[in-house]
Amino acid sequence: MKIRTLRLLAKEGTANVYKNKLMSFASLITIMTTLFVLGLVLLVIVNVISNLEAKKQDLQVKFYLRVDASRLEQEEVAMFIENSRASGVVSEYQYESREQAYENAKKDLKHESLMEGLTPDNFAEGYFVSLTDPNDSDQFIAKLKLLSGIDNQWITYPKDELERITGVVRVFNYAAIFVLAVLMIISVLLISNTIRLTVFARRKEIEIMKYVGANDWFIRFPFIIEGMIIGLLGALLSHLLTSQTYGWIKDGLNNLFNSIRISDLQLIEFDQFAIRILVVYIIFGTTIGIIGSLMSVKKHLNV
Amino acid sequence: MIRFVDTTKVYSNGVVGIKNLTLRIEKGEFVFVIGASGSGKSTFLKLIMHEETPTEGEVYVNGYSVHNMPKSEVPYLRRSLGVVFQDFRLLPNKTAYDNVAFAMQIVEALPREIRRQVPLALGLVGLSKKARAYPGQLSGGEQQRIVLARALVNNPAVLIADEPTGNLDPKTSLEIMELLDEINQRGTTVIVATHEKSIVDTMKKRVITLDRGELVSDVQKGLYTNEN
Repeated sequence: MKIRTLRLLAKEGTANVYKNKLMSFASLITIMTTLFVLGLVLLVIVNVISNLEAKKQDLQVKFYLRVDASRLEQEEVAMFIENSRASGVVSEYQYESREQAYENAKKDLKHESLMEGLTPDNFAEGYFVSLTDPNDSDQFIAKLKLLSGIDNQWITYPKDELERITGVVRVFNYAAIFVLAVLMIISVLLISNTIRLTVFARRKEIEIMKYVGANDWFIRFPFIIEGMIIGLLGALLSHLLTSQTYGWIKDGLNNLFNSIRISDLQLIEFDQFAIRILVVYIIFGTTIGIIGSLMSVKKHLNV
Repeated sequence: MIRFVDTTKVYSNGVVGIKNLTLRIEKGEFVFVIGASGSGKSTFLKLIMHEETPTEGEVYVNGYSVHNMPKSEVPYLRRSLGVVFQDFRLLPNKTAYDNVAFAMQIVEALPREIRRQVPLALGLVGLSKKARAYPGQLSGGEQQRIVLARALVNNPAVLIADEPTGNLDPKTSLEIMELLDEINQRGTTVIVATHEKSIVDTMKKRVITLDRGELVSDVQKGLYTNEN
């Protein structure tokens, strides 16, 4: 088809959105609602994942130096940790000196008698390290083991917990894909039903076009444009609706979490995901619109 | 130009539309196809424009062989035909002008050509002044003229009309027929299915009579009821 013709048909499709106001409105509401539901479900999943990821960050590699570690060995360890932070592997760490360890032990053990005969020199220096990417833990621990100053028995990392969290995150990722696919199918069915009504009302028109010798793409194209425009409008409106609703839910829940003192649970800001959600909506909205149009025109093209 | 060779059309419900029909229509002819309801007139026309395909035999139209024609070629066959229906079939949301222009847009004619040809076609059917009107604002006779303009605008080799005057009063019917005759004079083959005796008798053209799908008579300069 020539560009000229495409432009003509695009104009026709655009005009049809307005001419068939009622049907356009019905389709628009359908797309908007399905995208809205899709968005909220996605945001719930994203929130669960982001809170779980935050939990992962809280997991720390803990290790202690040998009590008899030499000054050189101590410095070697300190330098390794400092370098790791500079290179970004370590996000932050706390250092516990012998004196602090001694004081902490004194505090923990209620009975003074248990500390009798112990001096700070009996305690080891310790490091509590947060990794930027918890998945690097194995590699990081392997490197620690090469340092002679560290007591290998005392390197700990809550690996089980990490794996549990990773597993749950994976499940939620699959859930997201599943929800996306199911909602996509549902919305295509819904929208094609609505468009089918539009097309049914215009089947005479399609028939006439066929008799005058229009080929199938000539007839389809305006419907595709129509579906695309409605999909796009639905996406934009739905995005607005989602951001408003989410903001409202977020404020409410965050206040609730704070008031019942589980403030480490936080709903993420919508702005962080605004663009991504918008892209998902636009892709979904227009695809749904186009597929819906194609499905409903198909039946009437066999004249 | 148009050739039926041993053509038979049996519908899926067993009804015979056309039975063993063999005939040819040459370029520039004016042909009436007559017969009672169910005689096969409509099937005859539907076979020409590939609305139906023959169960047996072959139909050749403007160099296209209708049997086993690939779906993608059907629009091209139809563009070589101008079609006029009893119920007009104009696009209701387009003006008279746009309805005629639509036939040219389909064949991707240049906008310049469209601006030139559409007024000519409207002028030919005497409706230049109603170019901006929508079908709903026009009388039956006027609508049928628009349909004629649409059928003509691409200069088809063959014009097919299925009961073109079925919904019109006698005076308007005659005007439409005169218009068809005029179009025929300009070299277009015209095929008209009708059951209006008076029209057939006045025009004195070739008359093909069908009965239950079979060819009963085929007479040059015939009348509606031919004894021979």
